[in-house]
Amino acid sequence: MAGVAGIDVGGTFTDLFYSRDGVTVDRVLKVPSTPDDPARGLMDALATAGLAPADVGLILHGTTIATNAVIERRGARCALITTAGFRDVLELGRRDRPRMYGLTGTHAPLIPRALRWELDERMDHHGTVLRALDDDAVRQLAHTLRGQDVEAVVVSFLHAYANPAHEERVRAVLLEAHNGWEVVISSAVVREYYEFERTSTAAVQGYLQPLVARYAANLQRMLADAGHTAPTLVMQSNGGLVPLALLGGRAANIVRSGPAAGVMAAARIAQEAGFDNVITGDMGGTSYDVAVVLEGQPRVADTTDLDFRIPLRLPMLDVHTIGAGGGSIAGLDRGGILQVGPRSAGAVPGPVCFGRGGTEPAVTDANAVLSRINAQNPIGLTHVQELDVAGARAAMATLGQRIGLGVEQTAEAILTVVNQRMAGRTRLLSVEQGHDPRDFVLVAFGGAGPLHGAAIMREVGIRTMLIPPHPGVLCALGCAIADLRYDSSQTIEQPTEALDPAFATKTLAAQTAEGQARLREGGVAVTEVVVTHVAEMSYAGQIHTLRVPIEAGWTPARMAQAFGDVYRQEYGNILPGIPAMVVSLKTSVRGVRPGAGQRTAGPVTPHPATAARHRPVYFGGWTNTPIYDRATLLPGATFSGPAIVEQADTTSVIEPGMAARVDAFGNILVTLEEGA
Amino acid sequence: MMDPVTLAVVRGALEQITDEMDLRLIRAAVSPIISETNDCAHGLYDPVTGETIAQGGYGLPQFLANMQWTVQRVIAVAAAHGGGQGGFHEGDLWMLNDPYLSGTHLNDVVLVSPVFIDGRLFALFANTGHWMDLGGSVPGGWAPSATEIHQEGMIIPPLKLYDRGVYNASLVQLIKANVRLPAQVEGDLAAMTNVFGAGRRGLLALVAKYGEATLAGCIAEMMDRSEAQMRSLITDIPDGTYRVEDWFDNDGVDDVPLRVVLTLTVAGSDMHFDFTGTAPAARGPMNISDSTTKSMCLVALKHVFPEVPVNGGAFRPTRFTIPTRTILAAEYPSPVGGTTDVTQRVVDVVFAALAQAIPLLVPAAPFGTTGVATVSGRKADGGFYVAVYPYPGGYGASHGSDGLVNGTPPGSMAKFMSVEMSEHRYPLRFDYYRIREGSGGAGRHRGGCGTAYSITALAPCVVSVLGDRVDHQPPGIEGGGPAAPNEVRFVTGGQVWTPPFRSKAEKVALAAGDSVRLASPGGGGYGNPLLRPVQAVEDDLNAGLIDRHEAEAAYGVVVAATIPAGDRSHVTLDSAATAQRRAATLTI
Repeated sequence: MAGVAGIDVGGTFTDLFYSRDGVTVDRVLKVPSTPDDPARGLMDALATAGLAPADVGLILHGTTIATNAVIERRGARCALITTAGFRDVLELGRRDRPRMYGLTGTHAPLIPRALRWELDERMDHHGTVLRALDDDAVRQLAHTLRGQDVEAVVVSFLHAYANPAHEERVRAVLLEAHNGWEVVISSAVVREYYEFERTSTAAVQGYLQPLVARYAANLQRMLADAGHTAPTLVMQSNGGLVPLALLGGRAANIVRSGPAAGVMAAARIAQEAGFDNVITGDMGGTSYDVAVVLEGQPRVADTTDLDFRIPLRLPMLDVHTIGAGGGSIAGLDRGGILQVGPRSAGAVPGPVCFGRGGTEPAVTDANAVLSRINAQNPIGLTHVQELDVAGARAAMATLGQRIGLGVEQTAEAILTVVNQRMAGRTRLLSVEQGHDPRDFVLVAFGGAGPLHGAAIMREVGIRTMLIPPHPGVLCALGCAIADLRYDSSQTIEQPTEALDPAFATKTLAAQTAEGQARLREGGVAVTEVVVTHVAEMSYAGQIHTLRVPIEAGWTPARMAQAFGDVYRQEYGNILPGIPAMVVSLKTSVRGVRPGAGQRTAGPVTPHPATAARHRPVYFGGWTNTPIYDRATLLPGATFSGPAIVEQADTTSVIEPGMAARVDAFGNILVTLEEGA
Repeated sequence: MMDPVTLAVVRGALEQITDEMDLRLIRAAVSPIISETNDCAHGLYDPVTGETIAQGGYGLPQFLANMQWTVQRVIAVAAAHGGGQGGFHEGDLWMLNDPYLSGTHLNDVVLVSPVFIDGRLFALFANTGHWMDLGGSVPGGWAPSATEIHQEGMIIPPLKLYDRGVYNASLVQLIKANVRLPAQVEGDLAAMTNVFGAGRRGLLALVAKYGEATLAGCIAEMMDRSEAQMRSLITDIPDGTYRVEDWFDNDGVDDVPLRVVLTLTVAGSDMHFDFTGTAPAARGPMNISDSTTKSMCLVALKHVFPEVPVNGGAFRPTRFTIPTRTILAAEYPSPVGGTTDVTQRVVDVVFAALAQAIPLLVPAAPFGTTGVATVSGRKADGGFYVAVYPYPGGYGASHGSDGLVNGTPPGSMAKFMSVEMSEHRYPLRFDYYRIREGSGGAGRHRGGCGTAYSITALAPCVVSVLGDRVDHQPPGIEGGGPAAPNEVRFVTGGQVWTPPFRSKAEKVALAAGDSVRLASPGGGGYGNPLLRPVQAVEDDLNAGLIDRHEAEAAYGVVVAATIPAGDRSHVTLDSAATAQRRAATLTI
């Protein structure tokens, strides 16, 4: 079989991971991204890797195109049609502000008010028609819209999740009037209540659909021109893949596709290594992304805010971000206390040691000054051969003078503060979700994750850290091992005991059929189709729901029992006497790809690792530290901190008092030494 | 001087402890007001001075400094109690909701827990959480025509819920017997109590890591640094005395306006908030305690300077004069249920005073009324319901931008219910929920528009509304215009009417088909509207945010053409003619 190429197109770099047999890593590389046309960066990566069409049987792809289009407001000119009286739902949101403190600033909705229209129609929450839709009024509105030069029309009516008939009728009439429009109806994007969140999700889909469809067609053509005929699949934010040809219709589902891929890969790698409960920490140039994986399953969020007042109510891997990365700038607050980030030096000018005009010391400068990264061999930089350590030291000295610290002490202080921020967010995430972070394994990845993972682990009290073989391109790897996946949902909002079991069974069957049809439509070979059902449930009156795994055909009593079990697990008690509600029913249809990244354990022969060389590295004092070459670390190799591990895509730091060993899959496992 | 790295790390660690306490309660609370809208706060306090050492970042802004003054009063009560250390013993847990001591309203219950290290009192933890009901004449506690606090619910004076580890079950029984939702209240009390265990573990781990002396040293230095930071910000405000006067329409009981006067004096790095001249205590519920007044002054400051840390050091440069027996320093038995509105006016006057000094940094007035509409009745299954719809409204414009629409009050982060969710839960139907056109104050930057919504009853119910800002609109600054005033209308038996107190009405009975229509104010405008870019005025016209009359009268534009588009019309402005017209007006 021809090989698999996983390609993650990020903001700064396009990462490639190639495997001839779909299991063994044959090539890993980074090329600069090309934001004006991201498809070019992808093609560059394939070309740089020297992959001929015959080498590639499957292309798997992660992209930031959707996210960026929303954040930078570069999507399509859309119209929105709502129920009369609710024209402004999209702009109003649900009464909030961008930040807890500060009342300035405003908000630009994806569809401005002048392009939002109303139709006289109304359903109640059972889906009963209160005011009928008038086809003539729709035709008249279609006529008006033709004069407004819109590419897409989004239709979102109140309670359309309960009865989509009016939305579907409007779509039909609009397409009769003008078949050049992309028409998106809210009930087809998310069949759940909460009018603002559903309207926003439909608006995101309409806003992105033309752009993403064009991108997909363009990429398809460029691949074809280069002779690539391999099927191409794109990573979705739920951790599953979708064929490139269907991408336009799934535009809202591919935001944050890269971070999702990273979490999927981290979860899979940890599970292979025998760890089911994992916290993933992905640190790059500007941000630290953290996520929780429970029993091998990354946690899924039902709603994610893409920007202020732009929620997306689609299942997405629950990835939390803080502004802490290699480019985070250190400085003093007005009280003279050291702070690091969230301000970032960005790609330009970047940290001082990049020599592109940066003057304020950043986290990467601290790592350079302490010699934790190799100044002679900068990763991902093409414009310099060597980092400007002298420049970084000077910047450090200037800052240090103001707080009475020397150069190395200042650099170490910067690391201490940024590590504490990341450790704090890591702890908060697990506390928010009701877990003890000490029961988890930390998977550190991203360009800077393995540099800081040891400190985060120590701060949080995590006992084991796993550094995967290629931490710097893990998102690309994640694309290569993912399955196809389609989710659907429908709001029920009924007391469990009042739920008609036949209706529930019918709903789940319809969702299953819809997912299976989409799988078939994609035409990608799968070895197995896995269908899982979830009921979102709560006690009457609660707004937060819990995901309760259920099976088709369950009685209401069985569902209520399952809810009680999950509730007790989450909160430690149940609330007898308050009726349980089924808020929605959800189905996930997963098409398992043949042999997707299933690695086998190699033989493990315990042996002390051999250092490639030594150099002085600062750990509370200059210490002659062994430097290991990752490529030479074979399964069974053991070494202890302080140590540095170098490889093409990242640098790992093992702190004093920590022990490291390489497992059967080539992961480095780091633990605190006994008594440390 | 403390080692700078330890100092930075200890500050982060202390904030982490209180953040984690916030999140634990938000997760464990039964009350939806805590779990959905974070109506709670957690902090760590000096056991002698009561100064805030750290406060969680997830609780509501309105508790910002309020907790410190509450703790200071509990310290005094405990000391008077005697015994132990300053009256505190290991295993004690104090409880109160007396708003004259703990601020805000009866629904906010406060617990205070001493932490001992090696037998010595080291610090106090405290938290507050909003309970759904504490008895009183109106479910939920917002009683617009209350004339004494007893109509608003039961008062819990500072009492020990635990005395040296012994639980006072009788106290809890007494409380449960006096509230409408006893099971919920007991659950919230247990959740609030449990959170202290987590806080204590976090603090003891820090003591184990750094030692008590280093930790205490860091805390003292942290406070000094925060004070220095705050002083440095205040120094940037030009010295001077800035006087502001604003009004409440009435107190819901007597129809006379209530004056709020703030004289803000900035001298070097000190600020003095003097409320002398403010109206005497109201008979109706438009009163707040002095600790809430002080807290809201600091909330307003933090909205202008978001980087200000939340600890006692940062509060040191501020001084307050709040005459007793005024609406801003309520005493027994004044009702305080209007706290949600009175607090907003405190923010408004602080903004207005600062706007005189630093107009580039301060927004014009936000909508200024929480206008809580409470609907209660019975569902089809006979169950009793209380639905709460607090106003969203427009924010004021600022030097940098127009104002936001549909903002939440400055002291809150609470959201508005989803219309579809509301219709699932209650026999009420929304007729509309939309931007209130033309309600933002005119200006070079326009104030955000208010929000209009109408709810029709499908079954008999009663509606109470507690709002303000009908007779006195949110003002603009730097030449910007005021926003539209608040508007409340009832429609019963086909008749549209305005309640006698305009935006305050208690238990209005609605029959099926009757409705209540609410329209919140926008935010004030910033700068002369004649300086607003012509394109922005044209966009506002075509978006329907202003009408042609306002465009011509307030913004001085000249319309070039009007083309019909469906049931609207698309307007183009004449830039040259507009410039000419504006120039003529500006030079007069």
